[in-house]
Amino acid sequence: MHLHNVSGGVLAGDRLSLDVAVSSGAAAQITTTGATRLYRHRAGSADSEQSARFSVADGALLEYFPDAVIPFAGSRHVQRAQIQLGRDATLYWWEVLAPGRLASGERFAFDRLRVETAIYTGARPVLREDFLLEPGRHDLTALARMSEYSYVASLYIVREGQPAALWRGLEDQLTRIAERRTRHGHELWGASTLAGDGVMVRGLSRTGCFLNEALVEFWRAARLTVTGAEVLPPRKIY
Amino acid sequence: MGETELLRLLHLADSALPIGGAAHSFGLETLADEEDLKPPDVETFLTGYLEECGALEAALVRRAWRGGDLQALSEELSARKPARESREASLKLGRRFADLVNVMLDRSVLDRDLHYCIAFGAAGAVFGIPIDAVAAAYLNQSIAALVSACQRLMPLGQSAASRILWNLKPAIARTALAEEVFCFSPHLELASMRHRSLEIRLFIS
Repeated sequence: MHLHNVSGGVLAGDRLSLDVAVSSGAAAQITTTGATRLYRHRAGSADSEQSARFSVADGALLEYFPDAVIPFAGSRHVQRAQIQLGRDATLYWWEVLAPGRLASGERFAFDRLRVETAIYTGARPVLREDFLLEPGRHDLTALARMSEYSYVASLYIVREGQPAALWRGLEDQLTRIAERRTRHGHELWGASTLAGDGVMVRGLSRTGCFLNEALVEFWRAARLTVTGAEVLPPRKIY
Repeated sequence: MGETELLRLLHLADSALPIGGAAHSFGLETLADEEDLKPPDVETFLTGYLEECGALEAALVRRAWRGGDLQALSEELSARKPARESREASLKLGRRFADLVNVMLDRSVLDRDLHYCIAFGAAGAVFGIPIDAVAAAYLNQSIAALVSACQRLMPLGQSAASRILWNLKPAIARTALAEEVFCFSPHLELASMRHRSLEIRLFIS
């Protein structure tokens, strides 16, 4: 399924919501037709907002691979995603955050970006991330945050009910790919088991050029291990 | 706060408390090994650290001090720490802190499977120490431990280390009041995730 925003981007004051339910035993792959462009804030408008809720029933599979989010100069936006997985449900999810329109020399020129991501298996929180990025108040190039890098990418791989040894083995496997892809000063990759039921991959890069290619490589390796099947990438050039 | 409470807080937040804090760098070893973090950058780095990781942990100290379901709070914090080594280090310190407090009191007042900041906040409540002081003391010992790690990882002398700690006091006091749980530190998280790949390691995390 391709998600398409006919307005071309997210305008100040927009409130967009998405509810996805993947039924028991079903499989869904969702992507976008292009990057999510967050337009400049307009005085008097509320921050734009995108809220998405995903319910993945017992034994179901969800793959969610949107294109990058690009916060334009002066934009103010809130992005919320909540993913609920049932028994033996599987999730492959990536997201890429761009620094702005880098080709135009625009890097971290947005006003405010709030990102909330929550993944649960049953009642157990597997991943909770809450970012509040305000480049005017807190320097995003600080060493603890982005340092010299401009793009941040994340891939989450979660399947309820699998043994801890599977995840530790997958962490080892993805770490080897991360080590091979890492070029200090250009792009960094790392992998880690989550608090339970999964593994995540995180990347930082100076450019967006090879991010999707890397994400597909991590996804392919993870899918063979966790689902036992080859990936079926969206019809795009990676 | 009375003198007894003050002395207890100083004891609990002493960097010499035998819970193994000196064995962890929480990713700093990777940053130092790759020369991203050098002595002139330590104070600025820790200022950014306080604004993100410090604020998150201060908020959790405060929530724990107020009580409620500490196990659920600890599970939530585990989900907020994506880098395994740093997550496990935080849980290990929490377990050893709880063991020590329980031994000192000769009775069980703290659960063993809480993150360090949550166990510390809960201990502060048990001993009747005011919440702001508990959160500030937790952050102070946490920053002191990171500065101490830097001293072992790079040519950072005792006087320079003391000056950094001294200069950060206002930021520590300000951060101790944090109630929100925002944290954005991907470069440090990656340093923690990539720590296992270093050829030679002084620290567990």
